[in-house]
Amino acid sequence: MKKLNRRNFLKLAAGGSSALAAGLGFSQGALAGSIKLQEGGRDFSPTTKKALQAIPTACWQCVTRDAMMGYVEDGRLVKLEGHPDSIRTLGKLCAKGQAGVNHVYFPDRILYPMLRVGKRGEHKWKRVSWDEALDLMASKLKPLLDAGTPELFMYQYGRHKGSQSSIMHDFMDAFGSHTIGTHTSVCEGPKWVGQESLWGGMYDNWDYDHTDFVVNFGSNQFETHTNHIPTSQRLIRAMVDRNVPLYTFDVRLSNTAAKSTEWIPINVGMDGLVMLSMVNVIMNENLFRKDHLKYMRVSPDYHASDDEKIAAIKEHVAKFTPEFAEKESGVPADKIKQIARGYAKAKSACLIGYRGTVMHYHGADQERAAMLLSAITNNLDRKGGRVMGVGAGWKTPHSPKAKIQKGLDIVNGFPGEAAFPTHQVSQQNLPMIKDGQNGRPKVYWSSCNNQAFINGNNKEAEAVLKDESLIPFYVNSNIVYDESSQYADLILPDVTYLERWDTEDMVSPTGIAEFYIRQPLIKPLGESRDQGEIFAGLAKRLGIELAYTTKEEYVRQACEMTPGVREAGGFEYMKKHGVWHDKNAKPNFGFYEAKVDVSGDGVILDEKTGVYWNYKKAGVSEAEARSKGYLGVEGAKDAYVAQNIEGTPRKAYPPNTSFVKSGLLDFYSDNFAAKGFPPFPTYTPIPEHQKMGKDDLHLTTYKVAVHTHSRTAHCKWLSEIKHDNPAWINSKTAADRGIKDGDRIKVASDIGEITTTAHVTEGIIPGIIAISHHFGRQHSGIYGSGKSSPTPGGATADPDAKNMWWDKHGIHPNSIIPNSSDPISGGQRWMDTVVRVAKA
Amino acid sequence: MGINWKELANNAKSRSDIYGLMSTVFREEPSGDLIRDMRSPHLSEIFADLGVELGERFYTDLESKVMEELAIEYTRLFIGPGPHISAHESIFSEMDGDMSGLWGVKTVEVKKFIETTGLDYGKDFTGLPDHISVELEFMQKLTEWEADMWHQQYRKRAEYCLTVQGKFLDQHLFCWVDQFCDAVVHQAEIPFYRAMAELTKQYMAFERQSVATDTAA
Repeated sequence: MKKLNRRNFLKLAAGGSSALAAGLGFSQGALAGSIKLQEGGRDFSPTTKKALQAIPTACWQCVTRDAMMGYVEDGRLVKLEGHPDSIRTLGKLCAKGQAGVNHVYFPDRILYPMLRVGKRGEHKWKRVSWDEALDLMASKLKPLLDAGTPELFMYQYGRHKGSQSSIMHDFMDAFGSHTIGTHTSVCEGPKWVGQESLWGGMYDNWDYDHTDFVVNFGSNQFETHTNHIPTSQRLIRAMVDRNVPLYTFDVRLSNTAAKSTEWIPINVGMDGLVMLSMVNVIMNENLFRKDHLKYMRVSPDYHASDDEKIAAIKEHVAKFTPEFAEKESGVPADKIKQIARGYAKAKSACLIGYRGTVMHYHGADQERAAMLLSAITNNLDRKGGRVMGVGAGWKTPHSPKAKIQKGLDIVNGFPGEAAFPTHQVSQQNLPMIKDGQNGRPKVYWSSCNNQAFINGNNKEAEAVLKDESLIPFYVNSNIVYDESSQYADLILPDVTYLERWDTEDMVSPTGIAEFYIRQPLIKPLGESRDQGEIFAGLAKRLGIELAYTTKEEYVRQACEMTPGVREAGGFEYMKKHGVWHDKNAKPNFGFYEAKVDVSGDGVILDEKTGVYWNYKKAGVSEAEARSKGYLGVEGAKDAYVAQNIEGTPRKAYPPNTSFVKSGLLDFYSDNFAAKGFPPFPTYTPIPEHQKMGKDDLHLTTYKVAVHTHSRTAHCKWLSEIKHDNPAWINSKTAADRGIKDGDRIKVASDIGEITTTAHVTEGIIPGIIAISHHFGRQHSGIYGSGKSSPTPGGATADPDAKNMWWDKHGIHPNSIIPNSSDPISGGQRWMDTVVRVAKA
Repeated sequence: MGINWKELANNAKSRSDIYGLMSTVFREEPSGDLIRDMRSPHLSEIFADLGVELGERFYTDLESKVMEELAIEYTRLFIGPGPHISAHESIFSEMDGDMSGLWGVKTVEVKKFIETTGLDYGKDFTGLPDHISVELEFMQKLTEWEADMWHQQYRKRAEYCLTVQGKFLDQHLFCWVDQFCDAVVHQAEIPFYRAMAELTKQYMAFERQSVATDTAA
């Protein structure tokens, strides 16, 4: 017979189809049931071979919060893996995520409410009942309510997202306190502030599924990004499947740099300058695209023509030639030109930046330079480019708010410290409490936040927490005894994220929102209790009415209230499936071009800015609106309707944050100018770096792939992989100081000194030293610190503890890094510290 | 270029239909309906075009006679008693000691593989789990499911299904189907099963190439 080819294959298929369609198949099939193929989502016991109970839930190791599956056998959580139906993660889960199991069963876990009985820091505790704990808290909080001083109750949180955040804000509103401290300024606050000044919103993602070219400044995308699993796999796929080049600028050969097409070593704090020199090349070689110009404001004139804008941009960046950038940054001018040309000529391109770029003096302005580079090449909010992230918009229940609403002014930094602290200045919360000028809370409750570890000058933070005259009553919700909880008056045993309910909403890399939930995989161990339940218990004691009684009920209500989720089946659907997205939704590319109806009652055009706004919504008369104009009326930004773009009202970029702006991308920013900052993205040398002596080095910090900043040291699988953090130092820099690989070295700054080990390598530029910031734990259980906690926790013995082969636990660099804020955003300047390094 | 969902779905459905036909042929003695359809102008033309020679008498003899002769030939070839071709993977796999033979290690592997995908063996099925017709039927169902996934535009699931197909073919069907077909060609006394075995072998060669391409893509 003939050899089968494509043509006669189809003929044969037609024959097969005909025979089968005529009901001529065998009398009875051998196989019954239906195919239920799925990539993941099922697992089997290695001993009994039985299917494990598979429960959809969500990770919480890092802010990426991947949807995932938990597997339970006989009531014990045995395994975690990616959720196969998640459009964000595509079924993947990182090492940290998989080690989440360790949170539940580590031997030093806090499982009962603990009351301090010795002095703070003396580590003497007494187990108390929940009733005693809540009664005690209520006895401290009730007088604040009665006195009309709810602001003296401060809630300090680290990782609270989704419903963990909304339920907390709901409770604080019901209590009446706005004294709520966060942690974003030690994370990436300057990035968001830079974006908000332009976009009117924040959180960039990148359309790696369609991009043709990627340039990365200071982001360890493949190891530790805030949207790690969803984005890194897509970038890798772009590189492997479509040969998309990735150029990484970094002071250190991170694993991202190592996997890049090329690692371009760059001097500390020079990312923005190199970006501006790329703008210089693109503008002067006429490689820019005009498409986005009409949405950009690059001079005081709101109505400048394209030609005027082009001239203004050229003028702004004229001095940032590649040759000038080479002198400062160490990046060869020809390399800058090459990458600038490749970036501009690519059909689409992504520009990534993260902590390496923004955690500096004027870090927010460096982010503005990144946005500029994206905009002039029409790679902003376009397919294949840098796009504003889209997350799930959950509706949540709301409790009645207290009549008195007040807050202490201690979360936005010292007076004059930061011009736009839209993400607070949390590293200064405890120093401000110590200072006392703006008041001190009487009750300080921290949750999932280790202030004495995560901030700069963390020893000072520790001292404040220890001082009862500064913080009279300190409550700490935690699963582990750590640097902060050791000073608490009351420790509340938190549930792990694997034992609680939540709605979740992290940004999707596809531009299509994914709604997902977290649900308990097992019953909470010991007497651990969810914050939501604690709020309910306190509310009952304080006479506060809440819209829920349990966290589960809160999540149930959210599922039934949220359009889309509700129609899909609400809470029961989400319990069963874990994830939901609108299959008809389209990515939000080009959202700013949407035409807007401006015929509504009260909508007028502000001639100066080109903004259509609703004066009635702003609460002023038409006469006042017209005389004062959009920028002159307080609250007018909240009445923004559209931007006049060449005669057509379009959505543009609404001012959705505290920045008062038009709908244009404010590359020329009146907000910045008014506060004395450069109104256009520029290069501002870092003051400390200008005064460096010849023996001084830069200190930078970084993250490794298998740890979060402060919440994973007790995870044994992760600490086995990484538990020490020798300091990276270039071989030439080391040789100049007589330092060899493995030598003990002293690293000293103006506020302190640490001793560590040298890791001499060519994988870092000369003139700096880099130390990861996860290690050097005082506490955090046997696996994190080598010390068991002085609390009657869960299991007294973990057989694996005997197998712990490592005795090194690293050193924490934060004790020699001062709390120093970017004056624009209030972001902690992790990367600006100057140190002296010598052989110990 | 965008994904041509319809073309991908149709392609998978075509494969499913061919697997279905082959599974039917090797499962049991041909029914009158099957013989009638295979003798129809539509199919006979396709077979002629492909060079599949079922023998002149298959088309000219009375249907009842063809049915009777094929039933006898099927029994002689695949059931016995006496020397016959045991149409089971475990018989054709070369393994030491008791590992091969009926209900061997391969039988268990095939059964587990199939059950892992959510399918079960029908309660009325009295054959062994690794019969050639079962493996072909399994491929029929996998490709049918794949077609459905393309139809619903579930790219990831469809691609995963292709991966599963590739695994099953590599670990099982491809390992023995050629030997089996050669044995049938060698031992068949009337053209029908010889032709069907040749066609099956040809098709598996085509699959080997196309599935490798699909899963690599």
